[in-house]
Amino acid sequence: MKDRLTDALAASRADFTEIRLERTWTSAVSFRGRRLEAATASEDQGGFVRTLHRGCGWGVAAFTSLDQLPAMVARAGELSRAVRLERPIRLAEVPPHQADAVLDLDGDVRGVPLAEKKRLIEAYNSEMLAVSDRVVDTVASYHDAVTEYWYVNSEGTVLHELRPEVTVSGSAVARRDGIIEKGLESFGLRRGWRSVQDRAAGFRRAAERAVALLDAPRVKGGTYPVVLDPELAGVFIHEAFGHLSEADFIYENPQAREMMTLGRRFGKPLLNVGDNGAAAGLRGTLPFDDEGTPTQDTPLIRAGVLVGRLHSRETAAALGEHPTGNARATSFRYPPIVRMTNTYIANGRGSFADLIKDIPLGVYACSAFGGQTLLENFSFTAAYGHMIRDGQVAELVKDVVIAGNLFQTLDRIERIAGDFRWNEMGGGCGKGGQFPLPVTEGAPHVRIEEALVGGDVPDAA
Amino acid sequence: MIERLLEQARRRGAGTADALWRRSERTSVAFEFGRLKAAGVTEEAGVNLRVVSGGRVGVAGSTAVAAAPDELVSRALASAELGAELTLAFPSRTPLPHVPTFFAAAAGASLDALIELGAGLVAQLARDGCQVNVSVERELAETRVANSAGADSSYQSTGVVVSADLWRVAGDDVLVLGDAFEGADLPSAADVARIAQSVNTRLDLALKVTDPPEGALPVIFTPAGLTAVLLPLTQALSGKAVLQGISPLAAKVGEQMFDPAFSLTDDALAPGRASSRPVDDECVPSRATCLVQRGVVQGFIYDLETAARAGTMSTGHGQRAIFSKPVVGYTNLIIGDEGRGKGDGYSVGAWHAVPLQLGGGLLDNIVDGLLVDDLIGVGQGNVSGGAFSHPVALAYRIRRGEIVGRVKDAAVAGNSYDLLQRIAGFGSDRRWYGARNTPSVLLEGVSVTRRAAP
Repeated sequence: MKDRLTDALAASRADFTEIRLERTWTSAVSFRGRRLEAATASEDQGGFVRTLHRGCGWGVAAFTSLDQLPAMVARAGELSRAVRLERPIRLAEVPPHQADAVLDLDGDVRGVPLAEKKRLIEAYNSEMLAVSDRVVDTVASYHDAVTEYWYVNSEGTVLHELRPEVTVSGSAVARRDGIIEKGLESFGLRRGWRSVQDRAAGFRRAAERAVALLDAPRVKGGTYPVVLDPELAGVFIHEAFGHLSEADFIYENPQAREMMTLGRRFGKPLLNVGDNGAAAGLRGTLPFDDEGTPTQDTPLIRAGVLVGRLHSRETAAALGEHPTGNARATSFRYPPIVRMTNTYIANGRGSFADLIKDIPLGVYACSAFGGQTLLENFSFTAAYGHMIRDGQVAELVKDVVIAGNLFQTLDRIERIAGDFRWNEMGGGCGKGGQFPLPVTEGAPHVRIEEALVGGDVPDAA
Repeated sequence: MIERLLEQARRRGAGTADALWRRSERTSVAFEFGRLKAAGVTEEAGVNLRVVSGGRVGVAGSTAVAAAPDELVSRALASAELGAELTLAFPSRTPLPHVPTFFAAAAGASLDALIELGAGLVAQLARDGCQVNVSVERELAETRVANSAGADSSYQSTGVVVSADLWRVAGDDVLVLGDAFEGADLPSAADVARIAQSVNTRLDLALKVTDPPEGALPVIFTPAGLTAVLLPLTQALSGKAVLQGISPLAAKVGEQMFDPAFSLTDDALAPGRASSRPVDDECVPSRATCLVQRGVVQGFIYDLETAARAGTMSTGHGQRAIFSKPVVGYTNLIIGDEGRGKGDGYSVGAWHAVPLQLGGGLLDNIVDGLLVDDLIGVGQGNVSGGAFSHPVALAYRIRRGEIVGRVKDAAVAGNSYDLLQRIAGFGSDRRWYGARNTPSVLLEGVSVTRRAAP
């Protein structure tokens, strides 16, 4: 394969050429209620070529028919030449790497029969259904993939990797009279079969929570001191801040660049934020990004001040900064764009109990159903919450939706506990039509002086 | 390819089988920040095979099928060993309705022509202090779908998407506006001008930021802004939701659930639309399916599997990707405004005559209200009950019949099932927004809350 790739590179007349080839084996098993929805195994393969001629734009070709590789290299070259540019595209320097990396497969999923995968997820599904008669519906899914990955470019980088991925997830729907509540569990790592064993307790807790929420009151809408659990704090930093730190948002936009000027204060001195694609074994972890740049731990906010951003080679060159290993593509079908990996709020000090002990009335928002950001505005939905009363965690509440302005909210982070942990949820991030990209987040408990919590949504007819 | 797979499946013990083969070639050009930046092609081919073996259903897909058809059949059979028991009747060969899906002008457009199309739109959107991204995408596809009952259809199709985003950053205020043309053929010059006009109009009105109103108010949802209101309905009208017992409309067929002016039809034969097709991805001939007529629930959409489980017929809504089993999905969703506006139904591809007026003429009688064009977080949370609550992404305040500026820190909430019982008006701005054809809709009593000022 390596020879085929280097031959194809040699035939390219472009000034810069890169080729990715991927072969992916996936299997998926899902249950809905007691019924098996599907148990499938699939194979996907394809290639991606990107070329750059001097004075021209990107020429890109993606294809599933691998014997077309030489023709596609030529095609990408023609496409590049069709795009005349006044200001040339430059790429920041990355020293060429040669690497052969088999990530820890931790029990290669390709060797496990589909029937076994079915048994595993069926057991987790049964765990949810067994919680109560009120659990009226469940979804439980198992998904795995192993990708054999090749990357070469005309600067001498040659990479070969075997990338594993495995996710189990479940949702339980509880109903009483007209009230419907949901509990979610999800677990995913860039590892293999062994890492998803013995996870029944998490599925049981998700169903128990759905049932408990039936009796929980809605949170009363209003402005409160809000404490985010590590999972929600992680989702918050990804959604509300992480996307703004992706340099493709600002590199050709002077106003946006001004908004994100390095040195601007974003928070109090206790706030430290970064993105670490090299952290061991997490969903967003890889040795290299999809431009052959090594991944790294990139500080974004240090002591409350903006100190960095996430780059591809192109955005780094445009801003005179260094590539950070954040050019990623969801598959060979897409070009690499600036993406997060494992984004985090760094550890603070003290315990969760310390964090809440002087809050007379507040909201403890836990876990995430989802989050969306429209640049400086964000909204995310906690899976559940508790009121905080007189410094103690009090009753369970539901419909905790937190919305706000990024700049104000970051600046209102007044306490950060010392109980950091990485999320091990199996979700993915979407951007520019590319979804889902494996990413994760990490954070300790975080206390926001004041945030708007929405609740009180009208009932169904 | 497909015959070989079906034949091999039969020889290896599958009772019945069906398969979909699809090849597509997509050409795209991207303008970033007003300049042409990249051109690309994507060529893809793959097969999805479903077998019924021993009364159980199995599915497998591959983009590497040419290399190893045996392996695909083996995987489908292995999937069936674990699969759900189901009596799945594949449709036999029947005549298909005629719908044009292939447009020679779109198919023949050169790369230079696509670049020119994008450049023309960029030029109409250029303005100081704003960044303009435009993309033009043209797809040629060939689909073949066949089964062991003798059905075997193939068709060629074209699709074109021209989209524009405009970004304006002023201090810490970020404004993003966009619009797109989507169709099976190339847009006319007038279509392109309408994208520009739509973006420019909404931008001009957004430059001034004003305080949001508060209370239970009249709110105009534009064709784009309607997504949150319609989502509970489209979920509830899927046969899948009915089977799962989560559709509030499941037991309501024949009942008046909505305003008598409100109708909803899914039309897989709408001319000129990229989602239109003579046959669905499971060999079921296409037709229009009326879901709600004059406020009365008529029925649901089904694919073969959900129909088999519900003991009914597929409505031709099987959709199939290469790597998973067929699912039930909408094609072209048309919101009718029976008895108001310009009569029943809709006119094809109709964007309303220029000049485009935001709100489609519904502003006039509103003393204080909101026009909603985009919301944040649609689809999160519990959609099925009908309740929604979202901060606005793009919304305008209406006072005394006029738009007075953009509001930022506001949220709208309501319940679709309550709100759609009484529709205060349909706009004259009917258009396609993605695969949905609708005018603006005026709803009363929508809860508008203001976010606490910092």
